[in-house]
Amino acid sequence: MSRVLDALRMIWEIGWLRGLVVGFVTLTVVMLIAAFTIWFERKWSGRMQNRPGPTERGYGGWLQIFADFFKLLQKENLTPTATDRRLFDFVPPIVVFVVLSSLAVVPYVPQGPAADASVGVLLALAISSLMVFPVWAAGWSSNNKWALLGAMRAVAQSISYEIPLVLSALVPVILAGSFRLTEIVGAQADWHWFAFWPPGPGLAAFVLFYLSSLAEANRIPFDIPEAESELVAGATTEYGGMKFGMFYLGEYVHTFVASSLAALLFFGGWEGPGPDGLHWMLAKALILTASVIHVRWTLVRYRSDQLLRLCWTYFVPAALVLVFAAGLWRILAGGLA
Amino acid sequence: MVDAHPSHEPVAPALVEVSGLSLPAAITHLPRPDPYLNVEDYEPEADAMALNMGPQHPSTHGVLRLKLFLDGEICFKAVPYVGYLHRGVEKLLENRTAIQSVPYVDKNDYVSPLTGELALVMAYEALLDVEPPPRAQVLRTILMELQRIASHHLWLGTFCLDMGGALGGGSSVFLYNFRERELILDLLEALTGQRMHYNALMVGGNRHDVPPGWEEKVLATMDRVEDRLAEYEAMTVDNHIFRSRTVGVGVLDPLLALEAGAGGANLRASGVDHDLRRDAPYAAYGQVDVRIPVETAGDCYARFLVRIAEMREAIRIVRLLVSGIPEGPIGALKPPRHVNAVKLPPGEVYVGIESPRGELGTYLISDGSPIPVRVKIRPPSLHAVSLLPYLCVGATVSDIVVILGSLDPILGEVDR
Amino acid sequence: MPDDVLALFRTRLGLEEVPPEGPFVPPETLPDIVAALKEMGFLLFLYCAATHWPATENRPEAFTVAYGLRRPGPGSSTARLRVRIPADGSIPTLSGLFAGADWQEREQYDLVGIHFEGHPDLRRLMLPEDWEGHPLRKDYAIDTHHFPWR
Repeated sequence: MSRVLDALRMIWEIGWLRGLVVGFVTLTVVMLIAAFTIWFERKWSGRMQNRPGPTERGYGGWLQIFADFFKLLQKENLTPTATDRRLFDFVPPIVVFVVLSSLAVVPYVPQGPAADASVGVLLALAISSLMVFPVWAAGWSSNNKWALLGAMRAVAQSISYEIPLVLSALVPVILAGSFRLTEIVGAQADWHWFAFWPPGPGLAAFVLFYLSSLAEANRIPFDIPEAESELVAGATTEYGGMKFGMFYLGEYVHTFVASSLAALLFFGGWEGPGPDGLHWMLAKALILTASVIHVRWTLVRYRSDQLLRLCWTYFVPAALVLVFAAGLWRILAGGLA
Repeated sequence: MVDAHPSHEPVAPALVEVSGLSLPAAITHLPRPDPYLNVEDYEPEADAMALNMGPQHPSTHGVLRLKLFLDGEICFKAVPYVGYLHRGVEKLLENRTAIQSVPYVDKNDYVSPLTGELALVMAYEALLDVEPPPRAQVLRTILMELQRIASHHLWLGTFCLDMGGALGGGSSVFLYNFRERELILDLLEALTGQRMHYNALMVGGNRHDVPPGWEEKVLATMDRVEDRLAEYEAMTVDNHIFRSRTVGVGVLDPLLALEAGAGGANLRASGVDHDLRRDAPYAAYGQVDVRIPVETAGDCYARFLVRIAEMREAIRIVRLLVSGIPEGPIGALKPPRHVNAVKLPPGEVYVGIESPRGELGTYLISDGSPIPVRVKIRPPSLHAVSLLPYLCVGATVSDIVVILGSLDPILGEVDR
Repeated sequence: MPDDVLALFRTRLGLEEVPPEGPFVPPETLPDIVAALKEMGFLLFLYCAATHWPATENRPEAFTVAYGLRRPGPGSSTARLRVRIPADGSIPTLSGLFAGADWQEREQYDLVGIHFEGHPDLRRLMLPEDWEGHPLRKDYAIDTHHFPWR
């Protein structure tokens, strides 16, 4: 027994091996959570709409996601003849890869993530903004006008919302004085959650971050790149079977990662009453994910030009003001309040 | 961001007089796009992209095909193609007797079949010079208004679906609307035994009398439907996103609407105070004072407001009539023994009624044989779809979906 | 029909009696009369319905086309008129006056086979472009055989 523990401790001490193990565990758990987010969304939206949602497979239909997964696996691997075949097939794995890579720097426990980078916030946002490329490649390689329109919208939207997203994430960075996510959480100890303290800019920055990450993740009311009532399915129109499944999974992982980032930046991560730890982090991330789902099934969507105008005329100036306010607070309060 | 539109303020808008008709000046005589524009004349030509929207598309309300010519995402020419649901109903009716015909028109406007039946049956009655007894008239009026509520419920649901998508808030409104529509279909089922293709009317009267306790059920359902209307308004009327998607989108010139033959809420949202229920009363509409909601902005939001107001008005009419259904027979003619029982005199009639979508007319020629020579159905949806080449120009693909939804066309009726 | 319409028909057409289903108007004067009706407030286009009359012993094959217009607003009234044309005749289009006549005329061209002169876009509306025949003609049997996939 002690030999096993010794072996584990040795692994723990080798940095890259530890990163590998932690990363693997995080990936697996987050993928499972994303899968259950799908089940939760179906159930929750059903309850919101006076319908039961999935009921057949397992208690409350919780096995339905596995049924869906196996169905998607069994489906014919359709590739329309006019597509750019290599790029078309290459895109779905890239989507999953990009989405999952940002997990490398997102910590769920105080001990830190797989790679506790000193620029964790920037890295996480930079990786998740890489999503533009696979989406654009999907739209272009599909050789479908709906997909092309959807991809063009997606690029315009992602590039625009990047700016308020990063600027609003800068607010907790300035307040904490660090880019490292574990240190940002540490700065929020003793109930100094940035969403509530300093009062005002933190909460406003959270709202901006939340809305911008909705736009990044293409969720309603900002889901115009997909906009199935207008563009059939946007960039993913031509994808079917498991290729579509990867886009689908990527979307949910993306939502969960964005919620986790929001929980880390603004709600003190694993800080909470009683013992700190994973449970608080997961609870906060899941509550935020649930709110994303609730918003999705409540609102209708904007038009693309309205969305961009919203970004450039309201979000970007507001985010700049917030960054300025956070800096001012930092100077006046002389470090952390 | 679109804020409160000036023309939705409760201020009397400036009016302009056109051929004896007062129309809102702000939207009358708008410049009309050329629906026959040659695409090759478009400059710069290189930016033009042809996009086929439909017939398999989630938001074309059935099987409409719109060929859009886009510059970026702005449409500069739209060509609708209809006929995917053409079943030759007119040809069928020209080979059927008056008694056989009614179920066929049920399938035209499948969202409000009863109005289709009434338009046909009233044409035969005008030809035969038969007046249905008062009980049948009042019952028909109640049925028409119940059908109007049900139809507008479906419209509101699909309209929000077009804006919010099948996986989003739009589908919530859609399913809530079905909740109330089901209640009304329950009432119609109790009366006719069917939920969709009722076959409830016949020449000279109705086919079914009221089951016991139906009036109370109607009143209770009306209370419930009226209560729930507030929920939809909470999700739509003051919702910022809903407003920014509809206000100022698809502004319809009232003159164009009239000349194109549009009707119903599409006309009244553009400031034309016209409704056949009040202006040329049929059935028992003469007995009630029908109030006609009119808006003057002419955009999608105005059409939405008119339909919501029409639902409230329909609830009021049903309440007024259902408590005093006169006693008596429900048919003026003897129940038919065989399909040729109704002998048609020679003649030509045109009868128009106010369906939820506008003036639904039937033009009938008979030469004295049991089957008519010509039956022409005037579908309001056809005229609504024919407005698209005018309304889509300058709109984005997202707007086109909303404009199409706001016109409320039923493709079964367009194609017949 | 209201009195002003009856008066218009009497003066323009020289008729004593105007039948309630509408007078027969010579095809060449149709646009003028419809334009006059539009001036009088008949702004709402109702219908355009063509009928095929096959040849019998006492009359040759012919078509009638019936038009209806409506004056909107309280006390709404309709104006109806008809045009009779021979089998190979044509009729001037009203699509310049009424946008709604465009599709109605296309439908009649499609289903009955009436040629509307001057129509800017006279294509089939309901049936495919390559359809043969006009189904609403009386010599087109209801069970006419068609190649599949039409």
